[in-house]
Amino acid sequence: MVLITLGVSLNLLLGLVGRVSMAQSILFGVGAFTAARLALPTRTPDMADNVSGIGYGLNQPWYIAIAGAVVVTFIAALIISIPAVRIIRGEYLILLTLAFQLGGQQTMVVAKSVTGGAYGVAGIPSIKIGNIDFSGYTDRGTLNIAIFMAIVTLFVIVIAQGIANSPFGRILKTIREQASVVSSIGKSPVAPEMLTFGITAAIAGGIGAVFALSQGAIIPGNFNLDLSILIVSVVVLGGTGNVLGTIFGAIILGTLEPILRAVLGDSGIIWRSVIYGSALILMTFIRPNGFLPEGVKFKPFSKSKNEIVALTQSEAIKRLARTKGLTQSTSEEVLELKVLKKSFGGLTAVNGASFSIPRGKITALIGPNGAGKTTIFNMVTGTYKADSGQVFLRGKEITGLSEIEIAKSGIARSFQDVRLCEKMTALDNVAVAVPDQLGEKLLNLVIKPRASRLREKEVRERAFECLAVLGVSDKADQLVSDLSYGDQKLVAIARLLATDCEVLLLDEPTSGVDPSNVEGVIEGVMKLREIGCTVCLIEHSVYFIEKLADRAVFLDQGVVLAEGSVENLMSNKELSDLYFGG
Amino acid sequence: MNLDLVAQLAISGFVIGSLYALLGVSFGLVYQTSKIFHLAGAIPLAAAGYGAVWSAKTLHFPIWLSLLFGLAVSVLIGALILLLGYLPLIERKASLLSLFLVSLGLSVAFPSLLQIIFGVNNLPLEVYGSDGALKVPFENPVYQSGFLTITRLSIVQLIVSWVLVLIVLFIINKTALGRSVTALRTNPAMASAVGIDSRVVYLVIFSLSSLLMGVAGLLVTTQFVANPTMGLQWTLIGFIAVFFGGITSLGGSALGGLVLGLLSSLSGIWLGSQYAPIVVFTILFLTLLVRPQGLFGKATI
Repeated sequence: MVLITLGVSLNLLLGLVGRVSMAQSILFGVGAFTAARLALPTRTPDMADNVSGIGYGLNQPWYIAIAGAVVVTFIAALIISIPAVRIIRGEYLILLTLAFQLGGQQTMVVAKSVTGGAYGVAGIPSIKIGNIDFSGYTDRGTLNIAIFMAIVTLFVIVIAQGIANSPFGRILKTIREQASVVSSIGKSPVAPEMLTFGITAAIAGGIGAVFALSQGAIIPGNFNLDLSILIVSVVVLGGTGNVLGTIFGAIILGTLEPILRAVLGDSGIIWRSVIYGSALILMTFIRPNGFLPEGVKFKPFSKSKNEIVALTQSEAIKRLARTKGLTQSTSEEVLELKVLKKSFGGLTAVNGASFSIPRGKITALIGPNGAGKTTIFNMVTGTYKADSGQVFLRGKEITGLSEIEIAKSGIARSFQDVRLCEKMTALDNVAVAVPDQLGEKLLNLVIKPRASRLREKEVRERAFECLAVLGVSDKADQLVSDLSYGDQKLVAIARLLATDCEVLLLDEPTSGVDPSNVEGVIEGVMKLREIGCTVCLIEHSVYFIEKLADRAVFLDQGVVLAEGSVENLMSNKELSDLYFGG
Repeated sequence: MNLDLVAQLAISGFVIGSLYALLGVSFGLVYQTSKIFHLAGAIPLAAAGYGAVWSAKTLHFPIWLSLLFGLAVSVLIGALILLLGYLPLIERKASLLSLFLVSLGLSVAFPSLLQIIFGVNNLPLEVYGSDGALKVPFENPVYQSGFLTITRLSIVQLIVSWVLVLIVLFIINKTALGRSVTALRTNPAMASAVGIDSRVVYLVIFSLSSLLMGVAGLLVTTQFVANPTMGLQWTLIGFIAVFFGGITSLGGSALGGLVLGLLSSLSGIWLGSQYAPIVVFTILFLTLLVRPQGLFGKATI
């Protein structure tokens, strides 16, 4: 039972964010000792100084002890994760949690005043509700603990499911699959990730508290690395991102030990590691998604269908155009680039490019491969820092701002590859980009559940409208992995639209799309202009550019060779020679 | 402050730091080339120790042969881990997470297998003398100068570690192999386009890394004992050295290991040796907090 709950809690982190924590066991232990110290009776003068194994504490009731354990582990986890999430690389979290696990084990042995050293503490009072017996020493009490744990486990499962299906969970999944996208739509991946790690830890801490209170005695040896590894195995074997799978995995691995012990005697315990170690390897090869992969759900868990009424493309355009509040006629320059330069080592990618992009128009960046087009996008959006030069948005300098700040100030970009989350529906992929979502702050889900739910309805409507504009609203409920590549590109553009940004940068919207779908993409981009967005795109297809673009900027070797209307540029012999390789 | 004590701790810091540097370079090699969090590096380390102990005891190998045997075992196992474990997944373009999980699975199962085969006890390295009696393979005299002491095996450890570290640094920075590694790391597609077979490079890197792990395992076994779980703590030290020194350069990993060893040893001025793991963790945490790119890393992240 303990294993199930610990597994479910780690599944939040591993399943939703794709991060591994190797410190579940020590956090479990931190919770256990915190609870023990809170619950133990206060020291009385007649207590001997160092009675082995018997400790004293703050004499708090059981629920305070559990709450204390939850808070302490939550904070501990947040602190550990600070360096790890700053770098946003999973390896750092593995390293830090692994080091914390091993350092923590040692700390528990050394910190005698808290943990009683290697012998631990005993005499921890058990949970008391009325006069029901929760002591682990009697049969009746053991049964009651089991029931209590079952309730706690159920509670944790409900929380985990709630998180997974909330807007907060949506961001987490996006972080897991397409971390680069999260900041490009103006959202920080840091806080959600830390929070999830914190919650994962807090649950482990809470369970640790229940463990301590029911066992009555705990030693640091309970909380070793083996347990951490076992918890990871449970989640991986069962299927990451699937709660039922985790329960299944926990039951199997949990019953393995008594069975082995019965069959092989005391040496059975060694075989257990061999078995789950090999199982871990085999699973990675045979069923990388575990017994029950994400998405395999049973009826009671499946999400309710969309109640959003279908709306026509033109209606959607009208609605979005209104919310944008932009007039299409102004010819003001929205984005202005001044002498941007960027080199990578010895290679100069962009060498003093200057041009500007007028409002409400479609501007194409063209030029041979290696002309520096994508690098310019990357500098405008803050993915790369320009070596020199400036970028102005509506006359305000945005050079040097972070990706997130730039996206928030109104520039969103797509990528050459679509970077959608394949295991999410088209609608969810778009919904993640809608700004100002109450439900993305976990706290709001708890303190303002109604408002969050209402806002979530709006968000989903907005996402649906964006899909409708691009003509793919009929595919809103399909998983992205089931869509054609052309449709995926459209969903990716819909996601840009959902950001509410004025300037949309599209990096090769038709590359890789089969010819029959190219028209759909062209239509979609024209709709963006209709709404009043300013579009700047990188494109190789001359057909596309002639059909669509109002203006073109011709780049070669990092400098602007020419800019102007598409016809002018195309009729220029020199340029077309350069472009088509003469 | 007692200066003699500080000097003595500095000496042991250098000795242990050189082992850490060796481990750091071993992991740095794998991590820089493949980005795999190669927890299973613990396996070649333990394998070397067990290989040497077993061959000396059962096959009655002379000491030099059993050490070589241990190294051979560790290189072989390291290569097998790559060929059977990682490569098939890399070719399937599996995520780094699943590579890590395989690594984790291996490092869980292997120590238990050792326990099943060789028992749970610590095994000292013993060789049969010409008279047929078991004896300790090396004399390990203690050299003393005033208050300061150092054992012969510590000196051996210092020299062996740094010679190996320098050789590896030379290979990586100055030879064709090293250039292929850099190419593979920075642009795998381009590397294969110019005819670098990534499998060969991986194989060489893993063998080299396992060799270093094996040497580390032998150093540990000759001075202490071999036991089933010996690999993991050293593996972790190696990783900490890499991230502490900076993941961008191998030299950084080596220096990271050395500094880590010195700091954890010098912390003994104020704290008992049982605090060493805690000190190591704290150092790692604070370093990553202030300098995420590591002590000697370039700020590219």
